[in-house]
Amino acid sequence: MSSDLVLPGQPIPLPRGPVPQLGSGIYSRDGNIRASLVGIPGYEGSTLSISRTRPHAPSSNSIVLGSITRLSPQQATLSISVVDGVPLPPGEEFTGVIRVQDVRATEKDRVKIADCFRGGDVVKGLVISLGDARSYYVTTARNDLGVIFATSESGATMEPVSWQEMRCPRTGRIEKRKCAKPEGL
Amino acid sequence: MQSNFDRRRINGPEESFPPVYDHEEEAESSWKPGQSRQGRAAGDIRPIFLKAGLISQANGSAYIETEHTKIACAVYGPRQSKTTVYNENGRLNVEVKFAPFSCTRRRAPIRDAEDRSLAVQIQQALLPAVRLELLPKSTIDIFLTVIENDGIEGCIASGSVAASAALADAGIEMLGLVMACSASTVGEEIWLDPTAQEAQNASGSLIVAGMPALGTLTNVWQSGRLAPIRVLQVSSVHATDDRILRAHINHSQGMEACQERFVDIHTIVAQALLDNAHNT
Repeated sequence: MSSDLVLPGQPIPLPRGPVPQLGSGIYSRDGNIRASLVGIPGYEGSTLSISRTRPHAPSSNSIVLGSITRLSPQQATLSISVVDGVPLPPGEEFTGVIRVQDVRATEKDRVKIADCFRGGDVVKGLVISLGDARSYYVTTARNDLGVIFATSESGATMEPVSWQEMRCPRTGRIEKRKCAKPEGL
Repeated sequence: MQSNFDRRRINGPEESFPPVYDHEEEAESSWKPGQSRQGRAAGDIRPIFLKAGLISQANGSAYIETEHTKIACAVYGPRQSKTTVYNENGRLNVEVKFAPFSCTRRRAPIRDAEDRSLAVQIQQALLPAVRLELLPKSTIDIFLTVIENDGIEGCIASGSVAASAALADAGIEMLGLVMACSASTVGEEIWLDPTAQEAQNASGSLIVAGMPALGTLTNVWQSGRLAPIRVLQVSSVHATDDRILRAHINHSQGMEACQERFVDIHTIVAQALLDNAHNT
């Protein structure tokens, strides 16, 4: 098995035929295809890459999970703790921002941040850009994105009843959230 | 009375005496200028022990030991750089610390000029290898702790090797593994991987770092008196090519001599990384 493992800088032998697309962990220099990670190169379709399950920084189109830390009329700040399904080490969270125009796809001008998120909510979002020096820009403007876990004022875990509302099972009160469509529905 | 008394630290007794080592006097008296090297051949390096992944809370780590040089290295990140402005490329942050007991004289646990020059050399050696263009807005932190110090040249060389192994262990994309080797001129000879004692007798020293897999150099650092011809056999910057290596092997000097050893050190690092990859 050790022959399959490659080290950074090691050339990767390619089969005859068209050169595959290069994915993560592979680079090309002076016409040679080389590895830049320790691992076993493998094909996903026509892309040759070395897969890594180690935590990495968010990039555009990463799906992230995070909890809301701060709300303002213009934006909600979240602390990103999971990137593409890989949890980050504790204390190494990235900060993301959901701007008011990125909360939902329709009626963007009527969005009220306070009616969509509350502090402590766990949100699933999509990174749209690297943003500014402090934070990544995250959007929830898709059916499957939004709040996936929230507690009510009385402290119980709420369940979604529509894409804009959640109900507290203890008191029966309805609170407003921008909910994510539950998986498998 | 005691102006530099620090009550936050464990202070030693008021009166103390340095321990007397008997082997130290032996070593000093035995070598005289003009003699050939003792203990090993001029072109030999000290045996290297390298293990990756020893520090569990770090993203990647490595421990290197070459006789009396012992360095532990931990890599954290990529984490979000908070204080700096927006940057397309990532940042590589290297910090070196000497343990208080690492040198013959006690080192106060404060940052001084030596720590920083060491950190700069190691950062320079690693910088061309790490693919920072893939890590926008992020910082990689490398912390090296010198547990035992036997010559600053050896510390820089071993530190660079350990840091590169730790980066590979952390899964940070690199163009190649960085190897480094030091050399000093003592009289007419060139001694590879000098100890502190040997470096003291040397007229000049040289540290070369590079990526043997790509046949490139990343950092060359020279100090003291060293004739250019000894430093360079310039044609052989890509001397990891086997044919050129063999052509020059008879008059191996300076950089070439270091680069020959790269292949040996690379084998050790590769073995350490493969062992670690199999265990996890």
